[in-house]
Amino acid sequence: MSDTPSHGPVKSIMPKWVRGPQDFVGGVALIAIALFALWASSDLQGMRGFSFGAGTAPRMFAYLLLGLGVAVMVVGLVTEGVHLAKYHWRGPLFVSLAILSFALMIRPMGLIVTAFSSFLIAALGTPETKWTETIIVAVCLTAFCSLLFPYALGLPLQMLPKFMIR
Amino acid sequence: MGDVFSNLGLGFGVVFQLVQWTPAFLGGVSIPIPVNILLCLIGALVGTLVGVLPGIGTIATVAMLLPITFGLPPVGALIMLAGIYYGAQYGGSTTSILVNIPGEAGSVVTALDGFQMAKKGRAGPALAIAAIGSFFAGCVATVLIAVLGAPLTKLALAFGPAEYFSLMVLGLIFAVVLAKGSVLKAIAMIVFGLLLSMVGSDIETGASRMAFNIPELADGLGFATVAMGLFGFAEIIRNLDAGGEQDRQLVQQKVTGLMPTKKDLWDSTPAILRGTVLGSILGILPGGGAVIASFAAYTLEKKVSKHPERFGHGVIEGVAAPESANNAAAQTSFIPLLTLGIPPNAVMALMVGAMTIHGIVPGPQVMQKQPELVWGMIASMWVGNLMLLIINLPLVGIWVRLLRVPYRLMFPSIVVFCAIGIYSVNNAPTDVVLAGVFGLVGYWLIKHDFEPAPLLLGMVLGPLMEENLRRALLISRGDWSVFLTRPLSAVLMAIAAGLLVLAVLPSLRKKRDQVFVESEN
Repeated sequence: MSDTPSHGPVKSIMPKWVRGPQDFVGGVALIAIALFALWASSDLQGMRGFSFGAGTAPRMFAYLLLGLGVAVMVVGLVTEGVHLAKYHWRGPLFVSLAILSFALMIRPMGLIVTAFSSFLIAALGTPETKWTETIIVAVCLTAFCSLLFPYALGLPLQMLPKFMIR
Repeated sequence: MGDVFSNLGLGFGVVFQLVQWTPAFLGGVSIPIPVNILLCLIGALVGTLVGVLPGIGTIATVAMLLPITFGLPPVGALIMLAGIYYGAQYGGSTTSILVNIPGEAGSVVTALDGFQMAKKGRAGPALAIAAIGSFFAGCVATVLIAVLGAPLTKLALAFGPAEYFSLMVLGLIFAVVLAKGSVLKAIAMIVFGLLLSMVGSDIETGASRMAFNIPELADGLGFATVAMGLFGFAEIIRNLDAGGEQDRQLVQQKVTGLMPTKKDLWDSTPAILRGTVLGSILGILPGGGAVIASFAAYTLEKKVSKHPERFGHGVIEGVAAPESANNAAAQTSFIPLLTLGIPPNAVMALMVGAMTIHGIVPGPQVMQKQPELVWGMIASMWVGNLMLLIINLPLVGIWVRLLRVPYRLMFPSIVVFCAIGIYSVNNAPTDVVLAGVFGLVGYWLIKHDFEPAPLLLGMVLGPLMEENLRRALLISRGDWSVFLTRPLSAVLMAIAAGLLVLAVLPSLRKKRDQVFVESEN
């Protein structure tokens, strides 16, 4: 990956004894995922004799991940490593919001409204957005999508909001 | 040998198949249309179009364009997908030569010398050699697939569950060894992927596993959904971090004079040959594929060159070798998929997803029961490569213009397209939300230097591995030593263990890192 976090003097929230915060946090997260999976699969049946139950393989992989998570964490503790990368909030927030609004709106509002509004929400993700051109492109894209998907590709997408169809 | 020709003949027959089209407005006159060739052409064009967009790699392109093949008959859909795949691959090399932004990981090394050539005003020859090298590699790889297909299928039929399981372990280990960065973290990602693949219902008992009573999770996490999140959305979010525009140094001169000189051709011929051979071999290996092939070919070229110091300053061999290698590998990586039913890398894993949607389970059975499907696809690869050569060189001007579209307008469009694409797979809004969640997961993974590709591979192989593990242990009545007592399985396991040991040995680690460091200086 090209943007490996810098070694620069980022003020670290990590205590000093964590020498590779990036790996340390990564390992801890893997451990958390593994523990969550173990909890989630705890209600499943285990081995019956020598045949696998529904829960055998999930638990096997979860324990494996647990072990690997611990290993990554220990590596982060004992070897000098990179600091935590800087997170930005704007891009992730608005792109997620755009996706979420798409999911919520597509059923009741139809493709035209949804595609247009999701485009605009996503565009909030960068300070470089210039609104006139963005709106023009959004209109064009919406028109293009509403021709391409239902007509050219024959996908069963609803175009207009539900209340307008009735 | 006769088999090979008759099989290829069957394949080309499928590709060149004419369908009578009788439109109403012509009053009953029917026009023969080569539907499959058209699909291949459209696939290659659209694939290039999306592949050229910066920040969308091959995996995201294929995931994004999956829905457009849903309405087609299986053969047509697969042919179009293969076209999209090569198109995306080729689009990636175009951006790396013209803008120094590799559209996909396979063309990272192409950017080293390709962009330098472009800066000297030699973008045309660089693009032409990339296309010619790719085409040549594609021809060789097509023949190779045809030759190896039948015998490997026979071998595959001799495989029992234990052998399959061992083979997949070997594939995953290969993926780890060939991946960039920490071996430990790559293994962790694979296991994370395996764990994610467990979500859904148990194949044998039908019990719901880790689905939390969410109906959309009952059939498991959609593969295209996860791929789109990890490679599409995550990539967009990451690009927004970087602040979009600053690193896009588009070559401003007009691209003129596509034709390479005689000297270019003379210099690049041996490089293309070596790249093709290396790429073909690395492509067949499970876990290999286009990325590692291009890195290895570049390194080899630098080693054998009389003037290694000129690499990185715009030598044509530096474009020819990796481009041939990554195309050869892209194509030969179909071999394990078609013969054994095991996807060797993430793109092939997506192909499995596409095939499953059309009710095809890839593997030795398909080879025998639906030969027209498999051979049609193989023949279409060759046609696809030819198309790329013919359509792309004249279209370079259009691709360049596309690259001038600012990212601030591009990324919201990509977000909307991806969202529509995912939604149309199952008409499920939940899938869109899940893809968004995986987008954030992918962003986090990138920030912590975890590679998402092994995760995807683990996710695809997970169900297959579990099934074969269960069967093998059932047959052996719970005896785990079955993986070591059956000779074929034991050999595979031994190779896997050997590889893993080699990967963590300091001397080899250093060499491996060196190969990847090439791209960063």
